Amino acid sequence: MRGFVPFVGHRLFRALIALWLVSTVVFVVMRLSGDPVPLLLPPDAPTSEIMRVRRELGLDKPLPAQYVIFLSNLARGDFGRSIHFREPAFDVVRGYLAATLELGLTAFVLAAVVAVPIGLFSAMRRNTLVDHVAMGLALVGQSAPTFFLGILFILLLSLKADLFPTSGRGDWRNLVLPALTLGAFTMASIARLTRSAVLEVLRADYIRTARAKGVAEAWVVAKHTLKNAAIPIVTITGLQFGTLLGGAVVTETVFSWPGIGRLAVQSIYNRDYAVVQCTVFLAALMFVVINFFVDLIYGVLDPRIRAG
Amino acid sequence: MELTRRDLLKGAAALGAAAAVPLTAGGPAVAQTTQKKELITAQSGDVSKFDPHFSTSSNDIRVSFNIFDNLTARHPDGKLYPGLATEWKLEGQTTWRFKLRQGVKFHNGDAFTSADAKFSIERTYDPAAKTMVATVFSTIEKLETPDASTLVITTKKPDPLLPARLAFYGGQIVPKRYLESVGNDTFNAKPVGTGPIRFTSWVKDDKAVFEANPDYWGGKIDVDRWIMRPIPETAPRIAALLKGEVDVITQLPPDQGERVAGNATTRVAGALYAGLYVLAVNSKRPPLDNPLVKQALSLAIDREAIVKELWRGRGIVPSGCIAKGDNHFDPSLPPLAYSPAEAKDRLKKAGYKGEEIFIETTVAYVAQDKAMSEAIAAMWKDVGVNVKVEVIEYSVRAQKNREKSFKGVFWSDPTSTLGDPDGMVWRLIGPGGPQDYWREAKFDELGNAARFSVDEKFRGQAYKEMTKIFLEHFPWLPVIQPYEDYGLQKYVEFTPNPNQQFEVRRFNLKLRRA
Repeated sequence: MRGFVPFVGHRLFRALIALWLVSTVVFVVMRLSGDPVPLLLPPDAPTSEIMRVRRELGLDKPLPAQYVIFLSNLARGDFGRSIHFREPAFDVVRGYLAATLELGLTAFVLAAVVAVPIGLFSAMRRNTLVDHVAMGLALVGQSAPTFFLGILFILLLSLKADLFPTSGRGDWRNLVLPALTLGAFTMASIARLTRSAVLEVLRADYIRTARAKGVAEAWVVAKHTLKNAAIPIVTITGLQFGTLLGGAVVTETVFSWPGIGRLAVQSIYNRDYAVVQCTVFLAALMFVVINFFVDLIYGVLDPRIRAG
Repeated sequence: MELTRRDLLKGAAALGAAAAVPLTAGGPAVAQTTQKKELITAQSGDVSKFDPHFSTSSNDIRVSFNIFDNLTARHPDGKLYPGLATEWKLEGQTTWRFKLRQGVKFHNGDAFTSADAKFSIERTYDPAAKTMVATVFSTIEKLETPDASTLVITTKKPDPLLPARLAFYGGQIVPKRYLESVGNDTFNAKPVGTGPIRFTSWVKDDKAVFEANPDYWGGKIDVDRWIMRPIPETAPRIAALLKGEVDVITQLPPDQGERVAGNATTRVAGALYAGLYVLAVNSKRPPLDNPLVKQALSLAIDREAIVKELWRGRGIVPSGCIAKGDNHFDPSLPPLAYSPAEAKDRLKKAGYKGEEIFIETTVAYVAQDKAMSEAIAAMWKDVGVNVKVEVIEYSVRAQKNREKSFKGVFWSDPTSTLGDPDGMVWRLIGPGGPQDYWREAKFDELGNAARFSVDEKFRGQAYKEMTKIFLEHFPWLPVIQPYEDYGLQKYVEFTPNPNQQFEVRRFNLKLRRA
């Protein structure tokens, strides 16, 4: 574990750089049109409001000073005021975060827990009926538009079969259909990727050696195959998780799920730039955090990475 | 056994076909009664503001007219009834004396007095407040409060419609003391009114919860609680109704009416919209500045087909610029004509050279807007118009509306806010109005005179002449006066209001109990 602290420190440093880059991009974009104030206030805002915001953003100061003010505001969670809701942008977004995390995490866990064993099994039983059915479903899951899947689930599993509520947020039953819908693409990708990764590994010499040594098949699978196939699986899984959190707008709309994907799109329509700025930054933050943990997991899985 | 990809795809297609079979709810016995003490409704969008003076969107007024009361009230039967004012009298030409209801309390316990009424009305046109309803009371000169239960309003000129103006948006009465002490933003987050429901909580895009006001002067409503859920997509909204998860849904598209009506536990209720769906015209843009061109465009629209095919018969063809149900609607006027031959003829007379005519349409801002645009574009092409349909986003429309920068024609659903042409066509296309793209001296003279006259005969005549001028110049191309439909559980007894208010007060909404 000697190399652990520098390893974590290195990854942490990279994560912070990524965050800093995102905030800089946000800063630049907001000022590309020259004056960010018209973006942050309604068109008929009184002069006193305009002056106040100019002061708060330090717009009368030189650009480097503005940048420092911007970064310190960001650190304090001050993203400006929502024109549409008339409260701090961060408070608005915060109200949607729990719902987003709930749906994103559930979709992800469901996808991973279902897809990895399916992919593994398909690989082990290559070209049998099980394999073809599983990969066929995966093809559907990856190609079917989210909107179509969502409505289909509502009509079949909720209205006709009466198994789940039609939409909205509530108890665990309300989570199932949106999580299935949101997770379908991820589930399909992970299943197919797991199958490929495992097949790759199964071809490797050390597997042939283990079998030749007389190691039990189950042990071959568990110890040797999975651990080595894990890297690509973890990579894709990590990336998908990030997308799940920010890109769920279609699922959220179909199921009236109050998540930040929908909030971001509505805020763009409303020209509510303070909220857009906040959601962009928070989505980037979540993405960076997830990737940071994915990096750490690599280190655990593959000693070669830890050393290098 | 090896399956080929072809076999799999065949199987998937069969699965898809099975799923597409229309659903008929077999199931439980007809639910005509309920024990529920809670009303759950679903509409196509969330509330944006609770402050009644800052939004006129239908998704907001459905709620704000129930949190707040007005001095006068427009019931679903179209008539004006007492609200927070129990009686009103015209004294002389320009003075109205309102007797206010006694013993009314705001949700926070403050007593309602004439000071609140004066404050509320003055707030709407206070330049510092910058409300969305600043022009509603432009006819008012001053307000006086000789005592706590009397309000005297003096208008600049005789205004026969003042009580009607007080009944609609802008006329909601807000609490002076509370608002002044907490400020606009907190008031918007925690609204307080005198209405039959009290604001309890709001989770954005999830649900808004209201509790019944037990001391409401009109009697406690029939339920203890009202939960409003925004369900933006139509299919899940209807599914929620069919499954019994919600009691009432709004904005039911006409092609889904059969499904709701055919279901054992639900029904459809609609009201003829107090207004029109029109293609408003930017008459400043050639060739739309030529009346002959606009006449041709109107003649080329097969409105009957639109009503029959797109609206499944749930609408009527307008005859002019006055909505059916309004004062001075002339039932003798024929529905707007359809004649492609005459349309071609007018275009020739106008010297139309094939200039581009734009339809800038939104999607689902006005019901069926895109579908109607495509149908109308095809009809116009048939008579030789060089038409281009452009889809614009709602916020772009809002900006163009503010800047009056539309390229051609655009959808509008003007509401007749007063049950009178003054509250619709004059409000919108009169000088300085939001759709002021065309002026005509005689039209303006008549509109002004009619607004300030108390002689209904004179007004009727004025609107007749204005309609003639309208039908020559077409500042709007009226397309349809639709029914606006609601889906309801059969145990909900409710009458829709033509002006899009959602009336939950005792006299209008009940759940039938066993």
